[in-house]
Amino acid sequence: MTALLAERARAARALVVDMAASPTGCHLGGGLSVLDILVVALDRAERDATEVVLSKGHAAAALYAALHVSGVIEQNPAPHYGRAGSPYTGHPGPAVPGVRFPTGSLGHGVPYAVGWALACRLRAGSGTGVPGGARGLGIAVTGDGELQEGLVWESLQVAAAQRLGNVVLIVDANGGQNDGYVADISPLPDLPGRFAAFGLDVVEVDGHDIAALRDVLAPDRTDATRPLAVVAHTVKGKGVPAVEGRAAAHYVTITPARAAQWKEAIA
Amino acid sequence: MNASAEPAPPLSGRDAYRAELTALAGADPAIVCLEADLGGRNHPFQQAHPGRFFNLGIAEGTMIDMAAALASAGLRPFVSTFATFVAMRAAESIKLSLGYLGAPVTIVAPYAGVSGGWFGTTHHCLEDLAVVGAFPGVTIAAPFGEEETRAVVRAAAASGRPGYVRLGRNAAHHSLPWQGDAVPPVVWQGGVPGVAAGSAAGGTAGCLVSVGEYGTELCLAAVAAHPDLAHAHLCYLDEAHLRVAAAELAEHFRELVVVEEHRSWGGVGSALARLLPHCAVHSVAAADGWPSHGGGREDVAAEVGLDLAAVLRKALALGPGPRLVPRHEERRAA
Repeated sequence: MTALLAERARAARALVVDMAASPTGCHLGGGLSVLDILVVALDRAERDATEVVLSKGHAAAALYAALHVSGVIEQNPAPHYGRAGSPYTGHPGPAVPGVRFPTGSLGHGVPYAVGWALACRLRAGSGTGVPGGARGLGIAVTGDGELQEGLVWESLQVAAAQRLGNVVLIVDANGGQNDGYVADISPLPDLPGRFAAFGLDVVEVDGHDIAALRDVLAPDRTDATRPLAVVAHTVKGKGVPAVEGRAAAHYVTITPARAAQWKEAIA
Repeated sequence: MNASAEPAPPLSGRDAYRAELTALAGADPAIVCLEADLGGRNHPFQQAHPGRFFNLGIAEGTMIDMAAALASAGLRPFVSTFATFVAMRAAESIKLSLGYLGAPVTIVAPYAGVSGGWFGTTHHCLEDLAVVGAFPGVTIAAPFGEEETRAVVRAAAASGRPGYVRLGRNAAHHSLPWQGDAVPPVVWQGGVPGVAAGSAAGGTAGCLVSVGEYGTELCLAAVAAHPDLAHAHLCYLDEAHLRVAAAELAEHFRELVVVEEHRSWGGVGSALARLLPHCAVHSVAAADGWPSHGGGREDVAAEVGLDLAAVLRKALALGPGPRLVPRHEERRAA
């Protein structure tokens, strides 16, 4: 399965590069950094009622690509990305199959995931009489720059207070944000310590290690009592050597010819 | 002790909401109740359905977005906190979750207008209709009295649509009577003008249009002082309901005095003026200043120009005569 997911991620990276070659371009650097996380999380979601919310909605191209290679979106989204009449907008909304919540205004994906986790808890049959029988996680995928939003911490405070151990926050910690590096603009020292102080369990993982990500997301946490923060260390532009590790890769528009070169070089 | 047939005193809007929702949840296991630390101790829903009651703490934006997710999973969330904290601080969450997503979440917002009285400017909310009313698809209600509040809550639970319910603080009233289960777009005090027995008929000195708890209190006082005034009360205030109400109002009158505990901009008066370009719509609303002094609701409302004298000045200035001939009488005469 790990090899299959790695192949999905490689195919999705090529699609994201194609979307960077659209007339609008796309958020390439953060799209490539989060891709492995999305592919693994979407695979995890097939197992139960787990919902994956891409809170860093500007990585929409990566989400559409991941949904396509995971079989949720049948249509190849790349030729339609950003086009008039297409649902594949630069930030995702519920018109796209597999997208339940609108994100892109940063922070909102976290409370959506917390609410979903609470719904799973209620529907898991805890004696409330709520209909259902679903178990699962509410997974929010954020950027590290996104953690500057107050709504993220407000929601984590609530998740911890409500003892929602089936909330999983995955931070795509690529170190970049729109105007530069997180460390230069508004640093987040001791991120694991911050999450722990909020009452979350914390793990750090290589955000491009598919096997490690799978292990972290595998447990059924429906009845757990401490939310989980996963600090996933990633590289902006991961997999495309021309942009890997470059803050300037945040938003990229390229020609189809360059896209072809970059796709050939995908690791 | 004389066990007489004294009618029970009415509940305040927020107590009526809590009582009605608690009762509804007994038959509907999908209903969940969220609060942001302003639901008070001993909330009846918490006592009756503890597994479906969540005080999330002081986290308004989180509460709205969480409610949208609960709704997406098939639950029926009602959320409540003071009007200004939800409509202003969590405006973007309302836009995205109730507006764009259309999540069937009902927001119940007490302390609207200046009902907080001495609590001060931070707790007043004279702008919520302008903000929430700008989001298409959200049903907005400002019920007057216990019976209307209960009916609005029942309708919201059954609707499967997003809603915003604007309430006051502790004032308690019996509602104006209406026909049927659901509160109609227009509730006429005394019945439809010129039709119902005892209704205000042609030749009245003005048609008052009351909005919200205090606007209705003022209009009822105006009618008590001048029984020839006609009075139409509007409970539902979103664009779709206002279109229906506007048509019905224009059926009877060409001049209206809208009384509301809200800014003029974005309020119901400005909406009716837009919807009824051939009617003269006058507004008694909060002035442009900021209410910044203590006192009861009446004192603070008067500070922004909302009192009975202001209502009567506008209503009585219209005067009797052809400007106020009900349209059905015009047609009858023709």
